[in-house]
Amino acid sequence: MIDKVSKVANQETSPVTQAVEKLVNNVSKVIVGKKDTIELILVALLCEGHVLIEDVPGIGKTMLAKAVTRSLGCTFKRIQCTPDLLPSDVTGIHYFNQKTSEFQFRPGPVMANIVLVDEINRATPRTQSCLLECMQEQQVTVDLETIALPRPFLVIATQNPVELEGTFPLPEAQLDRFLLRVGLGYPSEDEEGAILCRFQQSNPLDTLTNVIEAKELLELQKLCRQIYVSDSVRDYVTAITRATRCHDGIRLGASPRASLGLHLASQALAAIRGRNYVIPDDVKYLAVPALAHRLISKTEARLRGHSVETIVSEVLSTVAVPVEE
Amino acid sequence: MKPDWRQGILYLTTIGMEGCWLYAIIELLNRKTAGGHLSVLVLLLIYPLSFGFNMLLQRLRFPRLCRRSLSWLVWAMAMLLVVKVQLYSELKWVDTSWLLAIPRSIGELIYGFKPELLILISTGVIWWLGRRLASRQSSFAALVSEFQFGLVMLVITFFVASQLGVELISPVTIAMAFFFFALLGISVAHAMEGTSWLSGLYQGHWSGLLLISISLILILGLLIASVVTPDLLQLFWTAIKWVWGVIWGLIMKVIVFLASLFPESEPAELPAMPSMPPMEPEGGFNFWPIPKSVQSGLRISWTVLFAGFILFALWRVSSDIFRWLRRKLAGMAGAEFEPLPGAFRADLFGFLKRILFKLLGLRLAFRIAARSVSVLPEIASVRQTYRWFLHWAATAGYPRRVFQTPHEYLSLLAGLLPEAREDLDLITQQYVRVRYGASLPNEDELRRLSQSWHRVKQNDLKRLRAHHTGD
Repeated sequence: MIDKVSKVANQETSPVTQAVEKLVNNVSKVIVGKKDTIELILVALLCEGHVLIEDVPGIGKTMLAKAVTRSLGCTFKRIQCTPDLLPSDVTGIHYFNQKTSEFQFRPGPVMANIVLVDEINRATPRTQSCLLECMQEQQVTVDLETIALPRPFLVIATQNPVELEGTFPLPEAQLDRFLLRVGLGYPSEDEEGAILCRFQQSNPLDTLTNVIEAKELLELQKLCRQIYVSDSVRDYVTAITRATRCHDGIRLGASPRASLGLHLASQALAAIRGRNYVIPDDVKYLAVPALAHRLISKTEARLRGHSVETIVSEVLSTVAVPVEE
Repeated sequence: MKPDWRQGILYLTTIGMEGCWLYAIIELLNRKTAGGHLSVLVLLLIYPLSFGFNMLLQRLRFPRLCRRSLSWLVWAMAMLLVVKVQLYSELKWVDTSWLLAIPRSIGELIYGFKPELLILISTGVIWWLGRRLASRQSSFAALVSEFQFGLVMLVITFFVASQLGVELISPVTIAMAFFFFALLGISVAHAMEGTSWLSGLYQGHWSGLLLISISLILILGLLIASVVTPDLLQLFWTAIKWVWGVIWGLIMKVIVFLASLFPESEPAELPAMPSMPPMEPEGGFNFWPIPKSVQSGLRISWTVLFAGFILFALWRVSSDIFRWLRRKLAGMAGAEFEPLPGAFRADLFGFLKRILFKLLGLRLAFRIAARSVSVLPEIASVRQTYRWFLHWAATAGYPRRVFQTPHEYLSLLAGLLPEAREDLDLITQQYVRVRYGASLPNEDELRRLSQSWHRVKQNDLKRLRAHHTGD
C-alpha cells in the first residue's frame, strides 16, 4: 500500500510543479517579486478555495488578481463593489422579455470561473451575503431556482484594511469562506525601481496570455487531493485549530472548516514543492494565512497590541510537532 | 556475514529464549500434574516442527484460511501423537481409545488437571509460538521484547516453583542458556540494523568482540550464581522478615497507644433474653449450597485473577526499573541507549489481547488498531536512528523544542556544524520521508543513513558541546 501511494504520487505530482512554475513565471511578468504571495494564491487555486487579498491601496492587489486570472484560460468577471450594489447585480436577475412574453434569466457576474470582487468591503452586508452560497456550495439561488456555477470556481476578493469610512467589515461567516488571506506588502527599493522600468512603455498586463486551461486546472486539483497526509500530520492540523479555540486572547477560534482548509492547502503546497506527502512545515507555513482571518481576538488582546497573526504564531509555538521523542 | 545467515541466528536465538522459559513452565506443570512422567524435551520438539512447517506454508501460495487450517490440523495430529507416545505407549495403534483421552480430560477438568490437558495446552502454545515466529521478521525491538517477556516468565516460574517446593532441573543452566540466547540475538539484531558499535569502527572484529562480551557477561553471571546461594538468600529473607516484624511491632504499639487515649465505655447491662428453643441440627443443610463444579470454577477464576495481579505487579516493577535505567543511561554523555517505551507492555498486552479476543472471537474489531501500531523494520530502523540523533544533540545542549519541525531543527544544527550539513540533511530527509511520507527506505538508503549517523556521532559531538559552552 505504501509503495502504491509513493508511486502514484511520484508520477503525478510533477505536472503540478511544472504548471505552477509556468503560472508563477507568467504572473511575474506583471508583478515584480512577491513570489510567496503568488504561490499562496496558486495554493488556493489548486484547492478550489477563495482568496482575500488585503493590503493598503496602490500595492498591486487588483493587478495581482488580474494577472493570475489572465494566466488561466478560464472565464473571468469582475465585480466592483460599491454601497449601492445589489445582490441581483451579482447573482443575476429574471427579467420580462417583451418579445417572447416570458421571464428570462440574465446571469450575473458571479457566473464565471474566476470572479474578482474588488473592494469587497465597500458592498453592503446584504450584497456580501449573497456570495455566501456561491463561495461555499458553488451554486446560486435566484427566485427559487438553483443554478450551479461553472467549475472551477474561484473568488479573488480584495479589500483595504486602512480606509474604513463607507465600508462594511466582512461578517465572520463570509471570512470563514475564504481559504487564505494574503497580503502583498510594500516592494523593496530594487523591486520598486523594476516596477517603474516595467511599466514605463506599456502595461505588461495587456500582453499577458494564459498558460493553463480550465480543464487542466481541474486535473491539477484532483492530483493535489491525492497527496498523502499521515495520521500524525492530520492530528497536528487539528491540534493547531483546536489550540486556537482555547487561547486566552481569542474570542472565536478556528472552525472545522478552517481545519479542512488548512489540510487541503497543505496538500496543495506539498504538491507545488514537488513532494508527494505533507510535512508539518507545510502546515506551519500556511497556518497564518489560513487561520488568522477566521479568528476574532478579545478586546484586551487587541489593546495589548496582539494581532491575530501574532496569536496564531503563539499557538504554533505551543503545539507539539509530531516527531520522535 | 550474509544477511540470511544472521537472520537464521535470530530465529535460532528466539527459539532458544522461548524454549528456555517454556521448558521451565512445562517442567513445573509436569511435576505438579503428571508427577514428572512427561518428557518436556519431546514437547519442545514441537517448536522447531511448527516453525519449519509454517515457514514452508508461508512459501506456498495458499489462501490464508487454508494455510491456517492446515497448520492447526498438523498441530492436532502432532498433539495426538505426543499423547499416544507419552501417555498411552502400551496401547496398540489400532486401539483408538487413547483418541478419546483429550475430550475425556476436558470433561473432567473440574475434578483435576490431567496430563492430557497439559499436553494439549503446551503443544498449542508451542505451535502458536512457532507459527508466530515463522510469520514475522526478527528485529532488534522484537528481540528485546522477547528478552523482557521471557525474563519475567522465568522469574515468575522460579518463584512459583520455590513456593510450591518443586525442585526444577538445573534452573541455573536454564537461566544461563536464556541469557546466552538473548545476548546473542540482541547483539546480532543490533549489528544487522547497522546501528551498534559493532558496525562502526570495530566492524572487522565484530564476531570476536561479540564472543568476548557474551563470555564476560556469562562468567559474571556464573560468579553471581555461585555467590548468591540459597543460604545467602535465606539470610536476606530472614533480615527482611525481622525488619518487617520491627516495623509492624512499632505500628501496633502506636495503634495501642492511640486506642488507650479513648475513654473506655462502661459495659451496659443487657436485659435477660428469653430462652430460645434449641435448634434442631439438620444434617448436611447449607444455607447456600454451591455445587462442587462451581466451587472448582470459582477457585480457578480466583487463581487466574491472583496470578494476573502478580503478573501486573511484576510488569510495573520491571517497567519502573527499565525506565530508571534508561533515565540513568540518558544522563551519560554520548551513551547509546535503547528507548523502547512500552516495549514489554505492548508485548504483554498484545499477548493477552490475542488470547482474549481469539477466545471471544472479537479480534476483528481490534484489527485496525493493531495494524496502525505495527511498524515495518525498515521504518523502525530510520525512526530509531533519528531518536538517537535527537538524543545526541540534546546531550550536547541543543534539544529539539516541541514546536520545532525536523527541518527547523536541521537548520539550527546545520548552522552550528556547517561541515556536517550533508550528513545532518540526509538523516533529516530520510526521517521526514519515512515519518510523513510513509515511504520505505531501500537497503542502500539505510546503509547511507547508518554511515551518516556514525560520522555525525563520532566526530562532531565534542565540538558541538564546546561551541555551546563557549570554550
